[in-house]
Amino acid sequence: MNTAMTTKTTTPLRRHFHLLLALAVVLAMPLTMQSGSLASEVLIYGLAAMGCNLLLGHTGLLSFGQGIFFGLGSYTIALTLTRWPLPMPLALALAIGMGALGAALVGWVAIRQRGTYFVMLTLAFAQMFYFIAYSMPGLTGGDNGLMDIPRPSLAVGKVTLWPLASPWQYYGFVAMVFLVAFWLLQRVSASIFGRTLLAVRDNEERAGAIGYDLRLLKLQAFVISGAVTGLAGALHAMMTGIAPLANAEYHTSEMILVMTVIGGTGNLLASLLGSAFYLLVGDWLSTLWPRWLLILGVVLMVVSLGLQRGLWGLGESAWNRLTGRRRAGDDAASQGGRA
Amino acid sequence: MTTQAFLLEALGIEKRYDKFVALAGVDLRVRANTVHSVIGPNGAGKTTLFHMLTGTKHVSGGRIVFDGHDVTREPDHRRVQRGMARSFQVTSLFPTLPVRENLRLAAQGTRPRQAFDAWHPPVGARARDEAVARVLARLGLERHADTPASNLSHGQQRRLEVGMALAAGPKAIFLDEPTSGMGIDDLDDMKRLIQGLKDEHTVVLIEHNMNIVMDISDTVTVMQQGRVLAEGHPHAIRNDDRVRSAYLGNMITGGGAAS
Amino acid sequence: MSIYLLQVINGIGIGMLYFLLAVGLSIVFGLLRFVNFAHGAFYLLGAYFCFQMMRWGLSFWLALAVVPLVVGALGWLTEKLVLRHVYAKAHEFHILVTVGLALVIQELVILQWGPLGENVPVPDMLQGVVMWGGFVYPKYRLFVIGFTAVLALGLWYVLEGTRLGSAVRAGSESTEMVSLLGIDVFRIFSLVFALGAATAAIAGVLAAPMRGAEPFMGIEALGVAFVVVVVGGMGSFSGALIGGLLIGVVQSVMSTVWAEGARLMIYVAMAAVLLLRPHGLLGRKG
Repeated sequence: MNTAMTTKTTTPLRRHFHLLLALAVVLAMPLTMQSGSLASEVLIYGLAAMGCNLLLGHTGLLSFGQGIFFGLGSYTIALTLTRWPLPMPLALALAIGMGALGAALVGWVAIRQRGTYFVMLTLAFAQMFYFIAYSMPGLTGGDNGLMDIPRPSLAVGKVTLWPLASPWQYYGFVAMVFLVAFWLLQRVSASIFGRTLLAVRDNEERAGAIGYDLRLLKLQAFVISGAVTGLAGALHAMMTGIAPLANAEYHTSEMILVMTVIGGTGNLLASLLGSAFYLLVGDWLSTLWPRWLLILGVVLMVVSLGLQRGLWGLGESAWNRLTGRRRAGDDAASQGGRA
Repeated sequence: MTTQAFLLEALGIEKRYDKFVALAGVDLRVRANTVHSVIGPNGAGKTTLFHMLTGTKHVSGGRIVFDGHDVTREPDHRRVQRGMARSFQVTSLFPTLPVRENLRLAAQGTRPRQAFDAWHPPVGARARDEAVARVLARLGLERHADTPASNLSHGQQRRLEVGMALAAGPKAIFLDEPTSGMGIDDLDDMKRLIQGLKDEHTVVLIEHNMNIVMDISDTVTVMQQGRVLAEGHPHAIRNDDRVRSAYLGNMITGGGAAS
Repeated sequence: MSIYLLQVINGIGIGMLYFLLAVGLSIVFGLLRFVNFAHGAFYLLGAYFCFQMMRWGLSFWLALAVVPLVVGALGWLTEKLVLRHVYAKAHEFHILVTVGLALVIQELVILQWGPLGENVPVPDMLQGVVMWGGFVYPKYRLFVIGFTAVLALGLWYVLEGTRLGSAVRAGSESTEMVSLLGIDVFRIFSLVFALGAATAAIAGVLAAPMRGAEPFMGIEALGVAFVVVVVGGMGSFSGALIGGLLIGVVQSVMSTVWAEGARLMIYVAMAAVLLLRPHGLLGRKG
């Protein structure tokens, strides 16, 4: 069992610290960045990567299907805000629900298999969803996607609470949603369920042998992951105003996975690091060299070959070296159990 | 000898893997609060029998009744709730998790619905602290409670293996070669550990170490090539000709106080 | 009636290509227990190298002979330099390293040939149609069917009739046994991986005159290869053949009934097979 790609049990102190860090990042971005859209994207994809991390780092499930849930979220919010205009919070809730439902369906079939077979299935389902979306232009706009998605302000009746017109105003909204979602995901991670997932990841057979229903546990992980990813998709669609077919493409799933892996699967906040790295470096590099994804591919290979704890792990090692703390062998020795 | 009820009755157990017959009709009856050992040469089907009894794999034929319930079709996680728990021949722990967490998970396995609780952390009443502490004490692993399982020594890991089954508070505990790979010092600890289980549990044991088998068993079942060869008290088995020839005669030594 | 016959034949043609795509993946998995997510990228390279060679004025036949060797060598190098290091790790890393590689290859292709895709001409000898009674059919497609059939036979012979093939099949059951028998398992790994890459490249070369070369064709090919392998059964040669033909025919026939849904149907077929027979039509259990 390779311990590198694993989430450790965290203490409450560490979780509060991470939440504060997240808050710090959320506050820092408007002060240091020009583009409100880019800042929103960092948070949005950070959420998606966290959803992916719940499956990969916590449960040991490598899913190429995250694009399905992201796309479902986008399409749902587009339809609910344009065709049958619903109040935005309700529309958002529906998008989350659709992400969860899609994940339940995909999960139910894919979970029957394990290991690489499971991974292949998620990829095949992702392709399937792509072709479904492509071949139903009435519902999804086909190749063109759905456009002109409004961004209604948060309002109660006629009273506008929070206008969301400008990129930074929208960022404020996204930041709120992000922090709440992050806090909830932290709770899930620290819960009995989250801890049981770690056992499933560590040793499936044993987890089954001591009484746990593996299929249902994995399914629940999938549903939560799908819900979070659907939320991300919806937020993205509202930001850009379109729900493109590309959101359901292989590349979206790949991108989310890459962010998750590069950030590091050791804890949830690392996923935000991954999305920030991908998007900010990408934004900078793409002006210099349009084929910057090449570098990303190389980074992915490097991480897989050697740097398996991702950027977060790299940061941790550097910090430990700086502060002179020596961690002999397995890092987990200093974790867990110390309440 | 007082006749205790049979806690476990397995009748006509068969297991086929395509053309290969691993078990060709095995009967096993285990009385409550006894230590019942299953021995036999390699390939006899002992571990396969365990898989059938605990539900790790499905039978091809036969019936298993545990504590009055027909559990033949039930998967392993259901049988855990019935009161069956097992340890594995090849150590199978949760390597990155601390010893305490390993045991907590095993204890919680008896109430698997709690595992879906995605809101509450396992603290307070939900942490099964007393159960875990009791098992830790019994295993003698209190000092290592916070060590990741993969960092334990082999002997300690084998003890934790038994502990995982214990933590579920089972009625019947199935130990598959608990002493495999152990050194002499650890062996005595393990022997005492298993012997001490008899009062509160029923122990079904696969072992190659005849010293332990002869010393602590109430009943010994000898298997060979997927069938039961002989069954009885340890001293009867030791003197049984069929068993001697199955083992080529010279392996059944040991057993402290002879009958 | 004849339009359906036409589509079935088209389906067989596509199906043979799908078989070629899938068989390399399947054999590599059977022996290395490794799903190569860069498999589609080798297919992509096959198509583009073919395009490039023809652009240089070389013949299609030369490309058909040379490109698989080149890509096979690349596969061999990949296994030796990169994959060796991940065998000991968890399967996530196998997958991710090949995903990274696929991305790198795709971007290099775009870097070299641009993002828009190119047409590849059908070789002169195979242009036009064959006429047989009332039956009219493109020569090139018939060639593809025939050529891949011969290849399939050749592969079958290698797997069943040669020592290398026996070693591969034995190694699929147990790598320890094979190394105990004195065969250098790692050398076989490289060869088999190279073979897998080469078959993907051949599929790419053959596909290029039919649909051109386009940078994202690797991803779709990967998806299709997965479907065929899932339907036919992982690790099974005949499964790849039957699965490939089945999927090819389904897609082809569907394209007359519901054009946009044709590609979708192959995934629906996959889902159906999965629900009814999780190990594929000819797959082994476990």
